Amino acid sequence: MNEKHVQIHNSGLFDGYDIGSFYDEMFDANGPRPHYANLCRTLGNLTASEFRARCELADLTLISQGITFTVYGDNRGVEKPFPIDLVPRIIPPDEWRHVEKGLAQRVRALNLFLHDVYHEGKILKDGVVPRELIVNAPNFRRSFIGADVPGDIYVHICGTDLIRDADGTYRVLEDNCRTPSGVSYMLENRIILMRMFPSLFGENRVLPNDTYTAHLLHNLRELAPPGRDEPNVVLLTPGVFNSAYFEHSFLAQQMGIELVEGRDLFVEDNIVYMKTTRGPKRVDVVYRRVDDDFLDPLVFRPDSVLGVPGLVNAHRTGNVSLANGIGTGVADDKAVYPYVPAMIRYYLDQEPILEQVETYMGWKPDDLEYICENASKLVIKATNESGGYGMLMGPQSTQAEIEEFVVKVRANPRGFIGQPLISLSRSPCFFDSGFEGRHVDLRPYILCGKDDVTIVPGGLTRVALRKGSYVVNSSQGGGSKDTWVLGETPAEAMRQTQTMGEMSQSQTMGKVEFPTRTGGNQ
Amino acid sequence: MLSRHADAAFWIGRYIERAEATARMIDVHYHFGLESPALGEALRWSSILAISGQEKLYRKLYSTEDERNILHFFGFDERNTSSIFSAIRLARENGRSIRDQISSEMWKCLNQMYLEFLEWDVDRVLTGSPFTFFEKVKESSQLFQGVANRTLMMGETRDFHDAGRFLERADQTARILDVKYHDLLPSFAPGGPLIPTEAGSVGGPVDVHGWIAVLKSVGAYEAFRKTYHEGVTPARVAQFLLLNPKFPASVRHSVGRVEGCVRRVSGNRDLAPINDAEREIGRLYNELNYMRAEDIISGGLHEFLEDVQERCNTIGEAIYKCYLSY
Repeated sequence: MNEKHVQIHNSGLFDGYDIGSFYDEMFDANGPRPHYANLCRTLGNLTASEFRARCELADLTLISQGITFTVYGDNRGVEKPFPIDLVPRIIPPDEWRHVEKGLAQRVRALNLFLHDVYHEGKILKDGVVPRELIVNAPNFRRSFIGADVPGDIYVHICGTDLIRDADGTYRVLEDNCRTPSGVSYMLENRIILMRMFPSLFGENRVLPNDTYTAHLLHNLRELAPPGRDEPNVVLLTPGVFNSAYFEHSFLAQQMGIELVEGRDLFVEDNIVYMKTTRGPKRVDVVYRRVDDDFLDPLVFRPDSVLGVPGLVNAHRTGNVSLANGIGTGVADDKAVYPYVPAMIRYYLDQEPILEQVETYMGWKPDDLEYICENASKLVIKATNESGGYGMLMGPQSTQAEIEEFVVKVRANPRGFIGQPLISLSRSPCFFDSGFEGRHVDLRPYILCGKDDVTIVPGGLTRVALRKGSYVVNSSQGGGSKDTWVLGETPAEAMRQTQTMGEMSQSQTMGKVEFPTRTGGNQ
Repeated sequence: MLSRHADAAFWIGRYIERAEATARMIDVHYHFGLESPALGEALRWSSILAISGQEKLYRKLYSTEDERNILHFFGFDERNTSSIFSAIRLARENGRSIRDQISSEMWKCLNQMYLEFLEWDVDRVLTGSPFTFFEKVKESSQLFQGVANRTLMMGETRDFHDAGRFLERADQTARILDVKYHDLLPSFAPGGPLIPTEAGSVGGPVDVHGWIAVLKSVGAYEAFRKTYHEGVTPARVAQFLLLNPKFPASVRHSVGRVEGCVRRVSGNRDLAPINDAEREIGRLYNELNYMRAEDIISGGLHEFLEDVQERCNTIGEAIYKCYLSY
């Protein structure tokens, strides 16, 4: 695949960087793309040892702050830092506007879809989405049919994975409507980059992303049951051994809410309480990072010790709100994904703004045959797995692996889809040998509030650090990059300089300009 | 706050203090031994094992009492839940479980302490200077306590953390005193009257040296000197470490701090306690407030020290039942 060589010249440290036959985020054959020009000049002027020193410092910072994820099935050293590559990924304003609009449209449709399938099921009656596909979906929660949720919103936080193909077109690869993770790395990456390369932020107008937790908390508070004026919002984590525990504690700390485990909560008369040093305290909103299956042993898996007995019923009676709602897994089922464009047309009467990836569905006999016959050319994915588990990268697998996988697909056609291997865009990453291109994706975090959809500029850019790999998941050797969306006007940009002492401090967030505080020392 | 969070804060306080106290205890013992070759290796370590309450476990795990084994057991052995390494690891684990409650600087400090500790083992302690190692542990503990002091909100998390820290300190000061008492008065059966003499076996040069070592181990030597200008006698050392109201590691001061924390949590300003935690702490604190050194000595120092350790246990249990169980 990687036969073509296009090398970069006159760019200092980037000289000799090979674009190959891919869409490169930073360079085209003529040199750096315009929105990367400042970055290329500044980083290009560094020596390899200067750049390496910054990488080492960044690693040290991550380790000493314990910014890690947990690798399952490994005893000592179970906590590993999530590698960050210090070359940021940059998105110009016009591209971001397109992505932002497309994502907002998409998540609106997904919420309308969820409300519909848990109520009248019009889209099923009208035959736009096949009924059997939904009612047989493993994450369709029958017990939740007819239940109402605040503002009819099911997905409050959505992490949608976007990729760019060989032409640079953004395509949606999948939606994560259950408990998407990674946003803490998005925020931490920015902090690290600002520390390592402060001057870059003076040269580029990077839109801030640190308003994420404020938006999230605002939305969570809005979900409180009526009459609960000072709602008690908590974050429910499976505990320290969960791979995303760092993120859970980080978000709880940033929002100033309690980080609870199932054993801290109990339900009495359909009201949820947490056990405090001063006795029980009522809980109004649960931002839960525990999957449906483990949420309530009375309703879902009876062997779950992570959940809270009675939580689901308390939720149904409206005494406590959950984010995300129950049963959202039917919207990010990979077998339902091919129907999202149809949902957008059906509910919103609009054309989808973002492209998807062509998908063959195992449950359709013709598609199944195609998948099995062309397995060596396709990426085959289990419809309800995530984290890069349960998939086959046909072009990179041996004949034996392919045959073994095809047997699994034939045994459970509903459980698999096939997609052509998209030649993901690449971005330069720093290695001991210099810069090399690695495949990247982009996961923006979409927040759905009562009245509007908020997407903080950027998202998490994940990188497949292994040479030639297309799998970006942290559990599979992935890393990440800081992701910049550039502002168009100075007013939109974040002011990176803060003067000290008796000088003033000015802050701009998004398009709103906050009054400048004077008189210092506050 | 959540009971589970309070529990974790309480135990962070205890474990960090425990790591420091264990380092201090081994340090003083080690260096005292170097200057008292007459004691012999076995004798040097037997008292520390006896008082640590870990003798049984030690005998199960090791066949000989030598420097290397003792340092490994108290410094690094994960099978010993009171070893310095275990204490640091557990403090960090508790910190991880409430990293959203404590300041991020506190977490970073705990995490770094743990990561640095992973690079130590008993060989490195013995090939370098053990002094450096003990200093390292003490400094890490003090750094953490300083960071906590400076960054943690005045509130329940802090009160539970401090309650754990001072309860552990009261217990450990009593323990260190007990170890040395055991060492320095071998001719007296435990519980026998402690009679400070002008000359003779007790109060002779070895003894003075030993009691100075005790004071140094809790960082009390200079403070002691400022309080009593002459005469390092066992009675005075005991009085200072147990009853001095102003020395930060005295049992009396530490118990008083625990009381302050628990009273702040409940908001109870009356003399009468409103729960068992307040009752047990108040009772011990008042006894210490009204006690004279002579009372302790006539009843037997060892007995008294044992009683203090038991009551610290009772206080810990009462705090657990009132606030921390979940």
